[in-house]
Amino acid sequence: MSRLRRVRGEFVAASRSFLRRRTAVFFTFVFPFLIVLIFGVLVGTQPTGGGLFAEPVGWYVPGYLAVVVLFTPLSRVGSEVARHREGNRFEKLATTPLSRVEWLLAGTLVNVVVIGAAGLFLLALLVGLTGVSPPLSPALLLLVPFVVLGVALFCGVGALLGALADSQDGVIAASNTVALPLLFLSETFVPRSLLPAWLPTELSPLTYFSRGVRAVTYTGEGTGVGDPGAMLAVLAVLAAVTLAVGARALPTTD
Amino acid sequence: MTAIVAEDVSRAYGDTVAVDGVSLSVAEGEVFGLVGPNGAGKTTLVRALVGTTDAEGRAELFGQDPRAVARERVGLLPQSFDPPARLTARELLAYYASLYDDHRPVDRVLDDVGMAGDADTHYENLSGGQQRRTCVATALVNDPDLLVLDEPTTGIDPAGRRQLWDLLSTRAEAGTTVLVTTHYMEEAQRLADRVGLLTDGSLLAVDTPDRLVAEHGGDALLRVQLTGDDGGEATPTGLPDLGYPVERRDGRLTVRGVPPEAVGSVADRLSAAGVGYDSLAWTEPDLEDVYLELTGQRVVKGEAVAEEAVV
Repeated sequence: MSRLRRVRGEFVAASRSFLRRRTAVFFTFVFPFLIVLIFGVLVGTQPTGGGLFAEPVGWYVPGYLAVVVLFTPLSRVGSEVARHREGNRFEKLATTPLSRVEWLLAGTLVNVVVIGAAGLFLLALLVGLTGVSPPLSPALLLLVPFVVLGVALFCGVGALLGALADSQDGVIAASNTVALPLLFLSETFVPRSLLPAWLPTELSPLTYFSRGVRAVTYTGEGTGVGDPGAMLAVLAVLAAVTLAVGARALPTTD
Repeated sequence: MTAIVAEDVSRAYGDTVAVDGVSLSVAEGEVFGLVGPNGAGKTTLVRALVGTTDAEGRAELFGQDPRAVARERVGLLPQSFDPPARLTARELLAYYASLYDDHRPVDRVLDDVGMAGDADTHYENLSGGQQRRTCVATALVNDPDLLVLDEPTTGIDPAGRRQLWDLLSTRAEAGTTVLVTTHYMEEAQRLADRVGLLTDGSLLAVDTPDRLVAEHGGDALLRVQLTGDDGGEATPTGLPDLGYPVERRDGRLTVRGVPPEAVGSVADRLSAAGVGYDSLAWTEPDLEDVYLELTGQRVVKGEAVAEEAVV
């Protein structure tokens, strides 16, 4: 119960801090809107075979979701770590009962809520603006654990980046450098067939996210689909590992 | 029982030695002041003592490794602590309180630090002094046995500083051990049962303020501002025998070692000799004098010593 209360306390404080940064909240939701507007509406997949994208629009749903599941936790958690370090907050927390794992868990929960909302918003935009129609089946509910595990995984990576970078600016630069290749080399927007054969996309954790999400949101032809259960299992293991490594990397000393 | 023990504690960052072989002990219920200028090593020593830096030597809190001691027993205010800016003072305190199984009522702690009236103001909108008092409150909320405050009064106005001193004195009287760092000598002298003077990472001396002043503080001083627009140059250069060593500089006499009861007789002798003066000021030595003496930077309250001794 003590642990739960500490995580709850950290969650409440972190949520309030985030929700009161209006610019951050605004752009957290504007970002998916822009992504859908640019790639889903303006560029899109043309019925005649033209356009930037070769696959049907529904194939790219995991890519759109990956944008928020990947970028937001990396930059948010990384920046929060940098802010905490610059304000000597970790030094203070090191003398309280709150452990590093609890701190990161609470931060992950905040991100799950925020990105869950942004993900829902994004899905609604996709349905409304691009005509995507995910199959309405119980399997669609698996999107929830996919998003939760995906967010947790990249919160762990974000914590690691925040611990390694020496400033908030450094975190942003590092997270963009990590996120961009992951986004385009993980069978999200670019099908495996268009990537070099030697490129091991299986090394990217986002590949398992996109394959699993595609399995529950896309019914058409195409590659890049995996067994949802297996993909969830891989994501769960990877999330546990990155959270553990991220928590371990958080500073408790100067 | 001893609350804090440090034996030969050292910490270096590359070639820079921040703390160099410091040994000290602080008894339970004692208020210990760690005094020194910026860069003296106070913060690094505090970090070594509470276990938030990896240091050589032995540090213990309540007989245990600092990182093993129950977290509820320690309340820390780190230097330059900057908590989440968009929480109110009350929310901040509630947050830190939520990290402990047992804690003091948030509103009571806010009241203790004089923040009850601004408890619902966002931290970023508080004045510097209010922010610092809120930060102090975060170290008090778990009702710690050991309160470690790294420069708690920096940025606080004089009234707020005195309020905080009173609060810390009250906590100490209730049995809380207090380790406080400061570069305000007056603060250490006022607050601390014992003081450790730190410079360049080394402890120069540890003792009660009174004993340090008695041993190293030097003489009481009587300063006489001589009359005249020319800074007193018109007054006789041959001063009467005042019974004490006198230095003359920039139109001012500094008479050393004058006890307070002898100030009147010195004034009488000056008047009898026709030496006019605008003011007399008598000061006791304090920790600042001790520090300057021990670091070899001795000056007489801002002026170099004995360049122009007259008598």
